[in-house]
Amino acid sequence: MRFAAGVDVGSTQTKAVIAADDRSLRIVGRALVDTGANVQKAAENGFLAACREARIAPREVGFVVGTGYGRYRIAFGNAQMTEISCHARGAHFTFPSTRTVIDMGGQDAKAISVSPAGEVRDFVMNDKCAAGTGRFLANAADVLGITLDEIGPLSLQGRFPVKLTTVCTVFVESDILSYLAQGKKPEDILGGVHLAIARRTVSLARRVSLAPEITLTGGVARNLGMVRALEQVLGATLQVSPEAHFTGAIGAALFALEKLDRSFESSVWSAESRL
Amino acid sequence: MADTAKSEYRGEIHSRQKELMSAWYQRLDEAARTGAPATVELMISGNCVELLEAFDAVPLYPEINALQLAIRHQSLEPILLAEELGYAADNCAYVKADIGALLKGISPAAGKLPKPSLVLCNFVGCNTYIKWFEHAAVFQGSPLYMLDVPFLRADSPSREDVTYVVRQLREVVKMLEAITGRKFDYGRFRHAVECSRRVEDAWSRIKLLAQRRPSPFDAYFDAITLMGPLYVYRASPAGVEFFDIALRELEARAARGEGVYDQEKFRVVLEGPPPYPYFRAFRDMFAKWRACPVASTYSTVGGLWEFGFRHDAEDPFEAVALHMLEHNLTNRNFLQRYAQLRRYVEDWNAHGLIIHFVKSCRLFSAGQGDMRDYFTRVLGVPTLYIESDLEDPRYFAEAQTKNRMDAFFEALEHAGAHRGLPLAVSGPAGPHANPNLKVIP
Repeated sequence: MRFAAGVDVGSTQTKAVIAADDRSLRIVGRALVDTGANVQKAAENGFLAACREARIAPREVGFVVGTGYGRYRIAFGNAQMTEISCHARGAHFTFPSTRTVIDMGGQDAKAISVSPAGEVRDFVMNDKCAAGTGRFLANAADVLGITLDEIGPLSLQGRFPVKLTTVCTVFVESDILSYLAQGKKPEDILGGVHLAIARRTVSLARRVSLAPEITLTGGVARNLGMVRALEQVLGATLQVSPEAHFTGAIGAALFALEKLDRSFESSVWSAESRL
Repeated sequence: MADTAKSEYRGEIHSRQKELMSAWYQRLDEAARTGAPATVELMISGNCVELLEAFDAVPLYPEINALQLAIRHQSLEPILLAEELGYAADNCAYVKADIGALLKGISPAAGKLPKPSLVLCNFVGCNTYIKWFEHAAVFQGSPLYMLDVPFLRADSPSREDVTYVVRQLREVVKMLEAITGRKFDYGRFRHAVECSRRVEDAWSRIKLLAQRRPSPFDAYFDAITLMGPLYVYRASPAGVEFFDIALRELEARAARGEGVYDQEKFRVVLEGPPPYPYFRAFRDMFAKWRACPVASTYSTVGGLWEFGFRHDAEDPFEAVALHMLEHNLTNRNFLQRYAQLRRYVEDWNAHGLIIHFVKSCRLFSAGQGDMRDYFTRVLGVPTLYIESDLEDPRYFAEAQTKNRMDAFFEALEHAGAHRGLPLAVSGPAGPHANPNLKVIP
């Protein structure tokens, strides 16, 4: 059996995945750690934790592909690929019917048009502005004094979502405070927050296509309120995997397996020796 | 993916270019110190340098000064000064860098820049220039002539448009006579126009060399090297000599089968100017993928010649007017820009199109989102859209830009574009057959 790893160093969290090639492709290990200030260390910790879950030694991993904004800081990685390619590949692996990927991460929101083979056809990303990303939700949660895990379910309880005048990650705070001062309920405010982001994200995604099936990936996909808000704006059902936030790392691990196939005969490299 | 691909060629054209541009700045410095020769500040787009040459007047291009500051990482200080004075954050950053540098006495060269003998606002397509040149004239105490070039509203200018511009050119002649104290020499003007024709011939042939695989010429980054002499010396024998040398040198490279990259992998068309404050970093993003820009619209801002137009010495005033009205990028309408880009993709065998949106240039960048949609959705041409600025370093996010460039080339690589012919342009059959497009003559 051959093993390869994908390590997705995101702005907020680092995800690592071990893929195994044994008659069929399987994900045998995964780990999620906070990225923090030491990007290199986060990548190492994530990789080692994923190896532990897979019950293999790091040296058994034949190839590592790094992705995410910190990919060039992964000292033990063999190759780097952008998260755009990796999310497309990972989403196609999880849901082969995927033709559009909406990825919502900590600071990035992107939409990718995917071919039937899982290749990137086109993509768009938010530019120089974190509006419509996980950071926006985190700020909203901070102002309301609740945790990030709570905001999604709470937003679903809102019956009269407010209309936010901004999707600016900074100015959303004053908008929320203003609604609180008016006596609006937190669930209605959060309903408005989620709808505002959903509208912005769908507008971004329309620039590539919204061909079905649409798969939602990234850390924000764990937020059920966001999933429902997006579905409401899209008028369509999203494909969401319980492991949606690992999608980039899964794609990277699959690319790593491919590269391992090509270089296996001559490769004497082991991940452990470079940690 | 190795980051070490060679990104540039260094030949005689580069050393000669440096000599010519240094000599230009020396003449400007001489004018600043002695009051002679006469200098005329004018706009690069559709510039009428032929008229100046007839009077031995030296052109002074504020865009070149601004971009020089940006390349040397000196543009932010004058931009901030201009903003302190009240120029808005979304004003053209070229304007702010130029006005800020002017007021602060910053020169992009070793010598000084003169107070122009004439500020000639030949605004072509960009109406920001009207205010820019008005301010430049006031701040420097120079006379101003507003040369009104009507925007190209149809496929070609009307007879009235041409007559209108020619009449203004004759008024400029009168002003130049008064400024220089010299009588207008029609023979010299015709000679200047003839020099331009020869330069345009050579420049066009250089651009056509990029249709070869591998391309011996980077039609974006190397084109910028040649664009200085093209705008400053086009109407002079020095320009003719320089472009003859450049053509010979690049033809020799082509004959030897030499490309910009040892193994050219991708061929791309570029829309929009480069982010000059990060010129090197941006260039390296192409080099990493051995992606050669084979055609660019930016290299046609000053004049669009590769599709056949030449200055004609038989009717020099009309030739200059036609150049200003029709044969430069910025005075053309959007459908003509689409057609130009499409022709580049098809005839230069490109794998894709990269659009660089300039944040502080709403006039030229507005509509590029639609342009992207047209190329991706209608024609099926892989198209990347990136945003930053040509002058303001605050708008360039290196990691984000690099990420998008890498993703674009990764997608081309996964699609196998580099292994075969460039991806076919879809849409109606045959080149330029889309009924929505005007075929550029």
